Amino acid sequence: MRFPFRLAMRHLMARKARNGLTVLAISIAVFLLCFLIAVVQGMEEGIRSASSHRLVTQSAVSLFVDLPTSYQQKIDTIDGVHLTTKFRWFGAYYQERKNFFAQFAVDHQRFLDMYTKDIEIIEAVGGTTGPAARAAVQKAFASDRRAAIIGVGLRDGERFGFQLGDTVPLIPSIYPRADGNAWEFVIVGIYRPLKARIPDTTMYIRADYLNEAFDSGEALGSRGAGVYYVNTEESVPIDQVAKDIDALFANGPQRTQTITEAAFASFFVSAIGNLPLFLGTIGGAVLFSIFFSVVNTMMISGRQRLQESGILQALGFRPFVSTMLLIWEGLIISLLGGGIGILLALATEGSLIRIFAQNIRNYQISVPLMLLALGISALLGIVAGLAAGIPFLRSSPTEALRSSG
Amino acid sequence: MPDKFITLNNVSKSYTRGGETLKVLDQLHLSIARGDFVALMGPSGSGKTTILNLVGGLDSCDSGSVHVADSEVSAMSRSELPAWRSRHVGFVFQSFNLLPVLTALENVMLPLQLTPLSAAERKKQAAFALDIVGLTDRASHRPNQLSGGQEQRVAIARAIATDPAVIIADEPTGDLDRSSADEVLQILSRLNSELGKTILMVTHDLVAAKKAKRVLELDKGLLVEDQQQEA
Ligand SMILES: Nc1ncnc2c1ncn2[C@@H]1O[C@H](COP(=O)(O)OP(=O)(O)OP(=O)(O)O)[C@@H](O)[C@H]1O
Ligand SMILES: [Mg+2]
Repeated sequence: MRFPFRLAMRHLMARKARNGLTVLAISIAVFLLCFLIAVVQGMEEGIRSASSHRLVTQSAVSLFVDLPTSYQQKIDTIDGVHLTTKFRWFGAYYQERKNFFAQFAVDHQRFLDMYTKDIEIIEAVGGTTGPAARAAVQKAFASDRRAAIIGVGLRDGERFGFQLGDTVPLIPSIYPRADGNAWEFVIVGIYRPLKARIPDTTMYIRADYLNEAFDSGEALGSRGAGVYYVNTEESVPIDQVAKDIDALFANGPQRTQTITEAAFASFFVSAIGNLPLFLGTIGGAVLFSIFFSVVNTMMISGRQRLQESGILQALGFRPFVSTMLLIWEGLIISLLGGGIGILLALATEGSLIRIFAQNIRNYQISVPLMLLALGISALLGIVAGLAAGIPFLRSSPTEALRSSG
Repeated sequence: MPDKFITLNNVSKSYTRGGETLKVLDQLHLSIARGDFVALMGPSGSGKTTILNLVGGLDSCDSGSVHVADSEVSAMSRSELPAWRSRHVGFVFQSFNLLPVLTALENVMLPLQLTPLSAAERKKQAAFALDIVGLTDRASHRPNQLSGGQEQRVAIARAIATDPAVIIADEPTGDLDRSSADEVLQILSRLNSELGKTILMVTHDLVAAKKAKRVLELDKGLLVEDQQQEA
């Protein structure tokens, strides 16, 4: 038996306004769904990419309290500690506040050794590329206290376009200079992240430069380390190392809290409670309410279509044809909405990646995600059509014919 | 002329609503010859529509049997009936019952969807049916762009599109003015006389009944009058 597709299309076209609104509602919901899932996946990817042999030692009071530089030597002596570096938030911006990107002050002799598996140096000042670039950057980082290593995003991003050898002025928002001028840094190397957790728009500068500038009065601020990144030996249990570090400073002057890099990364992710769960709940609630409004719309259609079912049955169609019509219509509406939602997610992917660059490295509308969204849309359409069309299967042709359309 | 084309044998039918049982048909006997044009009259609630529903296989009787042509309609299952209806009966309703979202031609093509005809053949046959009712020039109009009389003629075209032997019409002129009603009756007469359709038509209209070859009068589920008329 042939299915009256044309009738379904005519019904869809006959209620352009209502069906258009339904398509719109679904497209927004599906866009939101893609967005939220991509955000959550991006965050989780970041946490997963954390090293399992790295600790972060921070002040027990707050992340925003700097640890003393004197702690480094003591941590270095602890059994199981392989390598440490200071890691201090610098918080300056380029030209305008909105051109914000992260800068961290690190130990220049140690940083690249610590981050061997985390970043790849793709080019050094002077033009060295390939495997030799790392050593060249290491050398250049040590030779100028204003030296800085930047992520490839700062070279390629429209707003920055920093090149090797450039002197980049950064306007301070935390540590003003005594002369009131901007800080200046010289780009000596460009890295590409190897881990999802690391943005490609970070700048690494020398901690000793800052501390000397504070000591000499060249800039306003006090000597400090920020937090310490600690690489541990594989032979020693990482939990033991963390305990030993915190035990060392249990009596002050500042107590520490040492956690794994994964926990540290997820601290940012869950800064307002459990963010993935929170986003998931919002997404679920939105989806749920849209879902019911779609089912409701389809059920209104269904009630108005009982008489049509009676007419079709008198003409010799089986009752399920009316049910199939509604399922088909529901499917077209929901797939159209879902498709638009996915296109919307794809169209905004680029700008959202730029917006999230600092925080969510792996925001991505992946093919599996699109398929999931499309599958959910299809399911929505089928269930809505089914809910609206099931009553047709139970009503007798005479009952259906008597109902007023 | 085979005398028994449509037969109702000892047919009883009652409805239960709110605990009360209403006996609509009580051991009714009725037979209609092939090619006959029968008008079924009677007061409201006397069971006329019920008879049409039983003959057309839209409803089932409690006891007795209903035969149409060689088929025992009353013995068919709910899943067999739709296909049988599609091949053997065409329905015409008082309120036309066209699908408002489809054009006149598409409405007429709809029952042909259930035949093995190709799209082009379906279109041709539907156009032919529209031609019979004189509405070729309205093929692309929607029902709301047609007058009541035109709508009913489209509905008749739809009823004959699959070339069924039986046409069942429930007060086909009930919603029409006199002249539209006369046109519709004229078409039904022609379908009977020229195409040999067996027509069973319920009507309250004496003028309409005059067009039929045989008039049956029903009261409280019983046949009280049965008269042959000359054309
Ligand atoms: N599905 C039903 N459920 C309950 N009662 C019904 C049902 N269908 C019909 N009846 C009742 O059966 C009786 C006969 O109905 P039917 O429709 O056959 O009458 P009718 O002769 O066609 O009347 P009218 O001229 O008003 O159309 C009426 O009293 C009606 O209320
Ligand atoms: Mg009736």
